[in-house]
Amino acid sequence: MLRRGVCSPSTLFTLSLVMPFLSQCSAGNFNPCLEVVPGLTYRCMDLNLSRVPAEIPPSTQNLDLSFNPLGSLGSNNFSAVPALKFLDLARCCLQTIENYAFEDLCNLSTLILTGNPLRYLGPSAFFGLSSLRRLIAVETNIFSLADLPIRHLHTLEELNVGNNHIESLTLPKYFTNLTSLRFLSLQSNRISYISKGQLDVLQERKGPYLTLVLSLNDIKYIQPGAFEGIQLHELSLRACFNNFTVMKDCLQGLAGLQVNRLILGEFRNIWRVENFQNGLLDGLCQVQMQEFVFICFKRFKNNTDTLFECLLDVSTIRFVDLYLSQVSAVPEFSQVQSLECKLCKFGEVPAVKLSLFKKLRVLRITKSKYLTNFVKGFKDLPSLEVLDLSENELSFTMRCSFLLAGTPNLRHLNLSFNNLITLKDPFSCPNGLLSLDFQHSILKNFGTIPLFRFFTNLTYLDISYTSVQILCECVFWGLESLQVLKMAGNSFKDNSLANNFRNLTQLRTLDVSNCKLLQVSSSTFANLRNLRDLNISNNRLKTLDSMTFLPLQALTVLDFSNNQLTFLTHTALKSLIDRLIYLDLSHNMFDCSCTHLSFFEWVKKQKQLLQNIERMVCSSPVNMKNVSVLNFDLSNCQLSITLVAVSASMALVAVLIMFLIYKYYFHLYYAVVLLSGCKHSSERGDTYDAFVIHSSKDVDWVKEELVKTIEEGVPPFRLCIHYRDFVPGVPIVSNIVQEGFLSSRKVIAVISSHFLESQWCKFEFEIAQSWQFVEGKAGIILIVLEEVDKAMQRRLLGLSRYLRRNTYLEWKDKEVSKHVFWRQLRTALLDGKTWNHEEVRLM
Amino acid sequence: MVNAVFLLLVLLYPNLSTEWPTHTVCKEDNLEIDYKSCDPLQDFAFSIDSCSEISSHTLNIRAAMLLRHSINELHLKLNLIINGRSVLAYSESLCEPDHPKFLFCGKKKGEHLYYEGPVSLGNFEVPQGDYVVAVKLVNEDRLTVLCADFTIKNNQDYPFP
Repeated sequence: MLRRGVCSPSTLFTLSLVMPFLSQCSAGNFNPCLEVVPGLTYRCMDLNLSRVPAEIPPSTQNLDLSFNPLGSLGSNNFSAVPALKFLDLARCCLQTIENYAFEDLCNLSTLILTGNPLRYLGPSAFFGLSSLRRLIAVETNIFSLADLPIRHLHTLEELNVGNNHIESLTLPKYFTNLTSLRFLSLQSNRISYISKGQLDVLQERKGPYLTLVLSLNDIKYIQPGAFEGIQLHELSLRACFNNFTVMKDCLQGLAGLQVNRLILGEFRNIWRVENFQNGLLDGLCQVQMQEFVFICFKRFKNNTDTLFECLLDVSTIRFVDLYLSQVSAVPEFSQVQSLECKLCKFGEVPAVKLSLFKKLRVLRITKSKYLTNFVKGFKDLPSLEVLDLSENELSFTMRCSFLLAGTPNLRHLNLSFNNLITLKDPFSCPNGLLSLDFQHSILKNFGTIPLFRFFTNLTYLDISYTSVQILCECVFWGLESLQVLKMAGNSFKDNSLANNFRNLTQLRTLDVSNCKLLQVSSSTFANLRNLRDLNISNNRLKTLDSMTFLPLQALTVLDFSNNQLTFLTHTALKSLIDRLIYLDLSHNMFDCSCTHLSFFEWVKKQKQLLQNIERMVCSSPVNMKNVSVLNFDLSNCQLSITLVAVSASMALVAVLIMFLIYKYYFHLYYAVVLLSGCKHSSERGDTYDAFVIHSSKDVDWVKEELVKTIEEGVPPFRLCIHYRDFVPGVPIVSNIVQEGFLSSRKVIAVISSHFLESQWCKFEFEIAQSWQFVEGKAGIILIVLEEVDKAMQRRLLGLSRYLRRNTYLEWKDKEVSKHVFWRQLRTALLDGKTWNHEEVRLM
Repeated sequence: MVNAVFLLLVLLYPNLSTEWPTHTVCKEDNLEIDYKSCDPLQDFAFSIDSCSEISSHTLNIRAAMLLRHSINELHLKLNLIINGRSVLAYSESLCEPDHPKFLFCGKKKGEHLYYEGPVSLGNFEVPQGDYVVAVKLVNEDRLTVLCADFTIKNNQDYPFP
């Protein structure tokens, strides 16, 4: 039922129902097909098309028309697309292909006709396909090769007619014309007998040897001699035989065949031959072959004594997915050079038996999940160069003197992806070893002593993810030839790289990623002048120190991703940029603040050099977290520079203004007072700001300094001075009281030794004190003009006490002190003025 | 015969909606398995010979589909999803260039794929409860060959081994 395919009447009925809707959808001028490469490649899969859409341009080279109900192909269907090289017509319900259907496609290289229930194929159907190299006609209702009109396709290289109804292997005469043919698949057909003469045409034919796939045919008999004198490149006979006897007899029928590769076996889900018994492969003794592949064969009951009997002259044997648990017998004088057992069932490395393959050069036992032991060693295999025991479950102690004693010329040893390997006395290992691979197997006894000291020729060492901790700087001693060292996923003492690689002067590639590194000593790379490729990613390094990397003169590739780098210094950038062609700094913890502006400018210029640049993201400041470094706006930083400049200059101006205010405080004050509309104290006319008590002997100071500064400065004050302001003809005392105290707001006493000596001064000071007491306000401003000793002070009642309890002004002959003095004095004089002024306004 | 008609109907289901119908594989008192194709291109057919086999760790299954892509390589990806969260992922290569294990390896786009045979669950214990197993098959070009969500309601009590 299934075989009837898509084109059963019911389907066509369904399709005819659906068609109107779809044709409505695809109406209009737009191209219904997917344009994969404009002008060249179009995919029109499953669009219910009945012909090549008119919108496909004539330049198209690749056209996928699969799953469209084309129904039949008349002549000249593809004249609109003459440049086609690839045409897929899979499941197009093609029942007839008329003559000259592909006439215009002289460039067509691949024609796919899979899944079409062909009923009629015109004898000139493929006429014009003068460049055709691949013809895929799988599941196309073909009954015989002779019916296939392909005799003129001289360029054909691959013919796949699998899954058809072909019953006879007879290769028609026209095969002599197909001089380019390399591959013929007749898989899943109905070939059950192969008899003499059917392949004779191959003997006459010139050209490359053919790969012939006959798998999944139910072959019952092969007549002896059918393959006599036939030369093939490859013959595939998987799941062809129904039982042991048929298989054994049929293989006898291969006698006389010469083939480069013979593939026998079955499939995972098809187990037909009940058991491997002795003699099954006897027929192969008559077959000349280079390589034998035995794949997916389940039933071995240890009757394998004859397994290798007829494989003596084969140079390569591959066993894939065999339930083979041991090697029972190996004949002498075998020529096998390469043996591979993948997915086999060995429990222990069958070293003793395999040692009988004296010419063995390459031995691979891989992906065998039951393989856990390696106890017995190889003996006397002088040619063995490659030993690959990777991807098993081995746990063993590697004593070379035991296990590898017989392999003196071993060059490559692969023990990767196993369980546990304990290293013991490695000095006995074959010292010609060039490569050693332990990755992803746990290594014991490594990391404290220079175990590989004698491997002076070793160029490749992989100990990645072997749970090794490097405790000693001496671990790699002796590896003078080492060019590649991969040791990702291990750890170092103190999580830092010291002089571990001092002697590895030939090293070209070093992988120390994922090693929990916190720091790298500046001498670590001192001798690695040939290092080209360094992977130090996935560590916890915070800096990329230019001094550390300076000795790496040959470095071109550096992977520093997934570390904790915040930025790169200018010197580091300079030292890197000249040498590197590949630099990965992604997934670091970049500090995207304007402090590192030059670094980000550099990043934007190095898009060629920097890998995964889109994954270079900021980690600080918080508002920039996870923002790509590329999106970091440099103009923001420039803006803030101007901002800084502006604010600095504003601060300067403010300071200047404050200075000016300080300097011209009194001028301003005066100006404000004037501007506020109130008249100055001069309005009062008869009122003074202060009455100056001083000795006549200090009159010079009063005249030159006090009067000049206070009366002529800003704001101007009016002082009452006895020699100038006392009214003549009035007793001195009345003048003192009337003009002095009563008309003045304040009293300035100029204290000096003369002042203390003067009786009038004493008198005036005492009146001032009592006046201050009566008025109840602070009114006396003391100016100490010169130091007066205590004894003198005591002579004047209350002076010394007054000086002790009140602040007074001291006159000093220095510029700075003078400046302070005058400011203080002015402030003191101003104090009453406000009050005064308010009083004036009230009046 | 009924099976074949069902397969045919599934294969030929008109390609109009992107939602494929849910098919029932098993419906017993304690076990219900449904599946639904999540490949927008097509549905596929799937059946288990006997639902009671599920506790025996080896199932005989039948599956059929029309290949929309060639499968020179075929990789299986399984995801066990409980409450919308993937709790287990498993992947296996079914067809590799130098190791085509199954007979369908190497089949071409447009060919029918019909698999009939045992599937071993290995040591995997089929969990109880309600969950989804998402199955995906991709080819060498990472194109989806098959995509399906199996909804499993399993309340069976297994005898303790």
